[in-house]
Amino acid sequence: MEALLAVQVVVAELTGDIGGSLALVGYGLAAIGPGVGIGIVAGNAVQAMARQPEAAGMVRTTMFLGIAFTEALALIGFVLFFLA
Amino acid sequence: MELILASGECNAEDEIICVPERVNELFENPFLGGVNRTMVLAVLAALIVIGLLYFGIVRHKKRLVPSKFGAAVEALVTFVRDEIAIGIIGPQHGLKYFPWLLSIFLVILVSNLFEVAPFINFPVSSRMWVVPATLSILTWFIFVISGFKEQGFSYLKDIAWPPGVPVALKPLVGIIELVSTFLVRPFSLAVRLFANLVAGHVMLTLLLVSGWVFLSGQGGLAKIPIGLGWLVVGLAIYAFEIIVAILQAYIFTLLSAVYVQTAVHPEH
Repeated sequence: MEALLAVQVVVAELTGDIGGSLALVGYGLAAIGPGVGIGIVAGNAVQAMARQPEAAGMVRTTMFLGIAFTEALALIGFVLFFLA
Repeated sequence: MELILASGECNAEDEIICVPERVNELFENPFLGGVNRTMVLAVLAALIVIGLLYFGIVRHKKRLVPSKFGAAVEALVTFVRDEIAIGIIGPQHGLKYFPWLLSIFLVILVSNLFEVAPFINFPVSSRMWVVPATLSILTWFIFVISGFKEQGFSYLKDIAWPPGVPVALKPLVGIIELVSTFLVRPFSLAVRLFANLVAGHVMLTLLLVSGWVFLSGQGGLAKIPIGLGWLVVGLAIYAFEIIVAILQAYIFTLLSAVYVQTAVHPEH
């Protein structure tokens, strides 16, 4: 029982004043997925443009659309970081 | 710069940079009673857009030989018409929505470029209710109204009870489609522009002020390479932010056009 209390005290000391840092960690986590996603979108767009250069204009427009949709998650994380 | 350094009671000898208590203080800078910087810059952006169109297009038509300025404005306008209005919405409906798309493109472009304009250095688009939320709500009204006008009630029916989906899945897909069309679209449209510009503004402020503080504050010679490093990184981000400003205006207009296109053309 005392050991449990001691652990709780240690945990409370550790987490007591890291509110701001926790929001930062949350933003970092929110940035992982969109980072990978934008990489996939842009990489495949480059591949498509290299294979068929005459379709480059259409591919570029669609790439921007895909990037915009993917990026939204990271940006919501960024806004939540300020709200937290 | 003084805004950050002078905020609150900050002992400049203890702390290198005095962080304001709220991030909003970076963006609000009231002067002249109730008028603040954001209002002045929003009006300025509108005047610049009107001036661009008036001197670049309306007055310019009377000239026989186009000037460089007129040609540049014309290229911008033709880009929005051909690439976005006609290219995305289609030749049948595109021209009807072209004035709206051109207006939001130019307003957002000018407001974004205020971020990197010398002596202004403040993007109006980073205030949620000045540019991003207002324009995305107007875009929402435009695509919803044009959807009902072009397709009638089947516009709502096709979203809530989508054809071509197995009957067991229809309620689920319908709810997802309803939420994503009518709630997530305007929200993400506004937040995308807002967050990009806020992030850029905070980043530029931090990097350039760091460079300035290290170069101008007291201390040994060791601070000079550190300050130069901050300045170099800050200027690199500065160039990057010019691209971001133009790209975000393009993406906002492009997505508005895509939303209008999905409303006026029923999916077969």
